[in-house]
Amino acid sequence: MVPTEYYVGLSAILFALGSVGVLTRRSAIMLFLSVELMLNAANLAMVAFARGWAASGSKTALDGQTAVFIVLAIAAAEVAVGLGILVAIFRNRVSTNVDELAEVRG
Amino acid sequence: MVGFIILAVILVAGGVGVVLLRQPVHAALSLVATLLALAVTYVTLQAHFLAAIQVIVYAGAILVLFLFVIMLLNVGGETSVDRVTWLKPAAWIAGGITVAGVVAIAFLSRTPLPEAAVVNAALGGGNADRIGEVLFSDYLLAFQLVGVLLMTGVVAAVSLVQRAAPETRPQRGPAARGAPHEPFLGVRHPEEHAGDVAHGSH
Repeated sequence: MVPTEYYVGLSAILFALGSVGVLTRRSAIMLFLSVELMLNAANLAMVAFARGWAASGSKTALDGQTAVFIVLAIAAAEVAVGLGILVAIFRNRVSTNVDELAEVRG
Repeated sequence: MVGFIILAVILVAGGVGVVLLRQPVHAALSLVATLLALAVTYVTLQAHFLAAIQVIVYAGAILVLFLFVIMLLNVGGETSVDRVTWLKPAAWIAGGITVAGVVAIAFLSRTPLPEAAVVNAALGGGNADRIGEVLFSDYLLAFQLVGVLLMTGVVAAVSLVQRAAPETRPQRGPAARGAPHEPFLGVRHPEEHAGDVAHGSH
């Protein structure tokens, strides 16, 4: 079996790639895609930790997988609301470029 | 270990594609590849139920929603120039430092994995009945809150995508309802505005 730390390293790489995407992309849709990548990186780490904690009993070990299940549901809700906001913005501005959406800037 | 390396290469390549590909459709398809490879990785980690959920919910529902919105809005590639030139290198350097830090901590504090028999007994293959036992006992409150959150998300999405409030639009007679020149997604062309002004004046 591959040790947990390899999976954690892979998860860190994916999370970093997602954060780089959030920082460098300008289209709001691409920001959302990058956030999804970060969520999935965290999920991978939690599933790997769930296997690493197998020695301390079934309930403790399955906590990780249960948390991933809840994160999946929250991601679904986030995408529904986020894409709704995106469509609403696009209706008014005909653009999803976040550089042009700076009215809230104080 | 060979399987893990293959999966890691697919995952990282897909992630790089999400960050670097210019066309949003290509980036979304790259993310689909990443999520499917992640589902296979879940199988290697004894999380079979999560692997199925990953394919059905993430690759099936969420990414289809993404592709639907990308094609509906007809979002093209990004063309505008960088306003902050040092942002891209700084972001990559920050990401590299993050990876180096996490990998260093993970490998310095490594603990040996339990025996395969112990893992099998504890996780039970990550089947739905074992996850359900934990979800409906220890995580019952979180489960209920997620239900409330999903309900709120449905209401919010419907109210956001609803047409603009009636008082902000010109009054139309019942005969005009469902007329063929309904604005697509509420985006109205200038000549249509002119027509509305002329329409409203008499």
